Amino acid sequence: MKTRTLTVPNRLGIHARPAALIVRKASEFRSEVFISNGVDEINAKSIMGVMTLAAAGGSRITISTDGPDEETALDGVCAVIESGFGEEMLP
Amino acid sequence: MQDRYPDASGFNVDKLQRHIGERLGLQSLTGVLGFERILTSPDISRPGLCLTGYTHKFLNHRVQIFGETEITMLSGMSPGKRRRALSNVFGFPVLCSIVSKGLEIPCELRDASLMAGSALFRSPRDTTPLIHDLTAFLSEVFAPQETMHGTLVDVFGEGVLCTGRSAIGKSEAVLGLVERGHRLIADDTVSVRRNGDTLVGSGDPVIGYHMELRGLGFVNVPELFGVGAVKERQQLDLVVLLVDADRMGEMDRSGLESMTTKILGLSIPLVEIPVLPGRNLTVLLEAAAMLNIRRKNTGSSTSEQLNRILLSKLEKRRGPE
Repeated sequence: MKTRTLTVPNRLGIHARPAALIVRKASEFRSEVFISNGVDEINAKSIMGVMTLAAAGGSRITISTDGPDEETALDGVCAVIESGFGEEMLP
Repeated sequence: MQDRYPDASGFNVDKLQRHIGERLGLQSLTGVLGFERILTSPDISRPGLCLTGYTHKFLNHRVQIFGETEITMLSGMSPGKRRRALSNVFGFPVLCSIVSKGLEIPCELRDASLMAGSALFRSPRDTTPLIHDLTAFLSEVFAPQETMHGTLVDVFGEGVLCTGRSAIGKSEAVLGLVERGHRLIADDTVSVRRNGDTLVGSGDPVIGYHMELRGLGFVNVPELFGVGAVKERQQLDLVVLLVDADRMGEMDRSGLESMTTKILGLSIPLVEIPVLPGRNLTVLLEAAAMLNIRRKNTGSSTSEQLNRILLSKLEKRRGPE
C-alpha cells in the first residue's frame, strides 16, 4: 500500500472532465486506487465516485494504491492530477 | 417497398412521365416524341422572355412551363408572329414543355414541338402548384446521395443509423429494437439522400426489409413482426458506431465531448458504444436515441447539466480568493 497527499492544482477543481482523466489513468493499472478528501474515500476507477468527492481547487487529497503495480499506479495518477488537467492553474 | 427515388443518371422525359405524370395530370400531345431526352437539372424554366426574342441565357435543357402569361401572349399574336416567337424557343434543343391550367394550345406550339422533336404535355394543374410539385419531385431525384454500410431504425421517432465493422452485431442489436416495437428502415445497406438540411435514409428495393442474422439466414421483418415493424424512409438524427471493447480505454468517460460525423456535408451527432459481453446493445441503442431527443429538447446534455451542478459546488468549496 502506497499513499501520497497532494493539492488539487487547477482553479475549477475535480469536475467531470478531470474526473474522467483520473478514472482513465487509474483504470490502466491492476492495483486498487483510492482517493480521499479526509472525509470520504472513493474508488478512483469510478467516475461517479470521483465526482462525488467534489475536490475543489486548492484542497488536499490523498491518493492510495494497493496491488502488484501500486508504485507505478501512484506515480501515474499523481502525475495526471499534478498536470492540472490542462486547465487554468491556481496561483 | 417501391422505388420512390429513381436514379438521377439517365433520368429522361419518359421516366418523368412514368413517375409523376399521373400526379401532375400530364397528357402528351406529341406521342412519345422526345421521351429519350435526358434531364440534367431539377430546375424549371419559363420561356416568356425567350419568346419575345431575348434568347440570351435561355435555359433550354430544363422543363419549359408555358403558363397563362406565355399562352395569352402567343394567342394575341398573328399566326406568322406566333411562329417566329416560337422559333426563338425551339431554335434550341428544348428538353420538353408543359402547358399548365389545361389551357388551349396554339397549333403552332404543337407544330414547333414536333419539328424540334421535343415532347409537349398539357396539365390541368395551376401553374404555381404544378411548378412546386415538379421541382419538389426533381429535387429529390437530383439530391446528393450516398450508400452507407449500416442499419437504419426509427427509435421513438429518431432515425438511428447503427454502424460498425462487419459482424460486430448491428443486425442483432436492431432486431432487438424491432422486437421492442421500433421500426426497421433498412438493414446492412442504407441509401442516404440529402434534402436541404436533412438527411433521409431508405433501403434497397430488392433487399426490402430482409435482415441477415448469422445462424438463421434471411429474415423478412414485416412477415415475422407485422407491417408496423417497418418503415419506408426516415430522417437521420443520430449515428451510433459500435466499437470493439479494446477501444474503451481511450474513450471519454465524462460525456462532455460530443462527437459528430459528416454525411453528404451535414453534421450528424455521433455516439460510440463499446461492445462487451453482458452489455445489452438494444437497450443502449434505445437509451442513445432517448438522450438525443432529450438533448434536442433541452439544448444541453445530461452530462453538461450534472457538471454544472458539480462546478458550482466546487466553486463554493473553494471560497473567495
